[in-house]
Amino acid sequence: MRRDDALGRAAAALGSMRLTAVCLSLLMLLVTMCTLLQVPLGTHLAVERTIRTFLIWWTPAGATIKLPVFPGGGLVGSLLLTNLLFAQFLKLERSRRKAGLWIAHLGLALLFVGEFATALFQVESQMPIEVGQTRDYSEDARLMELSVADVGDPAQDTVTTIPESLLKPGAEISDAALPFTLKIKRWYANSELGMRKPGDPPSEATAGVGADMAVRERPVLAVDDAQNAAALLVEARAGAESLGTFWASNALGAPQGFAREGRDWRLTLRPRRYYLPFSMTLKEFKHDVYPGTDIPKNFSSLVRLRDAGAGEDRDALIYMNHPLRYGGKAFYQASFGKDDRLSVFQVVRNPGWLIPYLSCALVALGMLMHFGLKLSASLRSAK
Amino acid sequence: MKRLFLVLALLAPAACRKDAVETRRVPKEGSAAAPMSAAGGAPGGVHWKLPPGWKELAGNGMRAATFRLPQAAGKAEVSVVVLPGDVGGELANVNRWRGQLALPPVTEDGLADGRATVDSALGPIFVYDFTGGGEKKTRLCAGMARVSGTTWFFKLMGDDKAVAAAKPAFLKLLVGLTN
Repeated sequence: MRRDDALGRAAAALGSMRLTAVCLSLLMLLVTMCTLLQVPLGTHLAVERTIRTFLIWWTPAGATIKLPVFPGGGLVGSLLLTNLLFAQFLKLERSRRKAGLWIAHLGLALLFVGEFATALFQVESQMPIEVGQTRDYSEDARLMELSVADVGDPAQDTVTTIPESLLKPGAEISDAALPFTLKIKRWYANSELGMRKPGDPPSEATAGVGADMAVRERPVLAVDDAQNAAALLVEARAGAESLGTFWASNALGAPQGFAREGRDWRLTLRPRRYYLPFSMTLKEFKHDVYPGTDIPKNFSSLVRLRDAGAGEDRDALIYMNHPLRYGGKAFYQASFGKDDRLSVFQVVRNPGWLIPYLSCALVALGMLMHFGLKLSASLRSAK
Repeated sequence: MKRLFLVLALLAPAACRKDAVETRRVPKEGSAAAPMSAAGGAPGGVHWKLPPGWKELAGNGMRAATFRLPQAAGKAEVSVVVLPGDVGGELANVNRWRGQLALPPVTEDGLADGRATVDSALGPIFVYDFTGGGEKKTRLCAGMARVSGTTWFFKLMGDDKAVAAAKPAFLKLLVGLTN
């Protein structure tokens, strides 16, 4: 029974077709904005700032404050889901006759939930691997981490990793695995590194590569094919004693570090790594073309998958649209290089990957049921 | 609506996930210098094949690697340095090398006179060969290559005679560079 008070009217507004139309229009505008913003921002940042956010923010030139200027995909999606649920429960008849529509709407609602789950839980990274190489980790080049490795053992390194989110100027990082603390002095998401010239101010680094270098902050590059040269000025301290101040950067190849308590420590700023409990060896990469042309026909990678914990030791073929799904992750054939000696996998961990398939199946089942019932009723009345 | 709140309540903790410091034991990695390894998705850096008798030492300080030449022990060695960008450009680097030998700087017009080009799988490598003045002559033969937004410097430096003897092998090393 419908209520005619304020609550009833609010519920009716939330379940109205008008709200559906407004939300769908906003979504179309958001998709257009996201597409246009991919040129200056790159795909990832454009999606983050328009679709996977509740509000789109804008900072006026020269200002430091951010102003909300448009609803983001998260807000519009939540409204649309609310609208769908209210419309379903307020308007749709609860009878066997409408069971198909109930199932189709449930499928649609599940699609929204699936997108929220993807936004919250999905982790994407890449695994570049050369023929003959074995890898047990993937990397996300958009995020950095500071690796502090005890390299004294000839067989293995003990590596402590500090994610980018903790590398804030002023932060002091200590850990049971480290017999010293790390004081973060500067963090540049992008920088220009060069050798110091006569007349340059003295380097803030007292040890390692950076003592001879000039490091300047630069605007962050967001486009897809650009790689930022992140730079971190970090001091290692044991009590009151300074073990050295270092410039670390993903753009530097030379190793640097210090000795402490008879152990050698090495500092490296590198793309964020996600270690796997299994390893993959690239046995073969194939780049097939249509005969007589350079047009690609297929890319495929034959890998050896080894997981001692699960007793797994087998070959797997990864090719276009046929990812390897293992250990909660999907490995897609994403790119290649180095005269076909290098294969690059997109590694996706998405616990909700089955939800879109389930929701599509539910929508299809619901529509089949609904139109099947209609058809059968129509046939009966025609007799 | 209750169901919606339940779903959101289940998802909310994930939004508050915190990054943490982690420690693990991992197998040692290869020593190939690999700056900007994520650029273009390619792992590894520049690879070389050492001439017979040469020995590669681990990098330190600014060096990605050092090559020891037993034939000229203590008299000449090769250093490998890799830096992002063009590191000030060709002219600035050539004059930096000349400064190390106490030679006067050259101008942009004079660059081409001293430049030789070696073809490799990395593309053209510009090679310069300078000899300092004085009684004990120091010589420097250096090659620079641009690779994926970085500049690789290979510098053979030392006693004039030792550098002259090692130069053919050094040029062969430059020709054989791959990525």
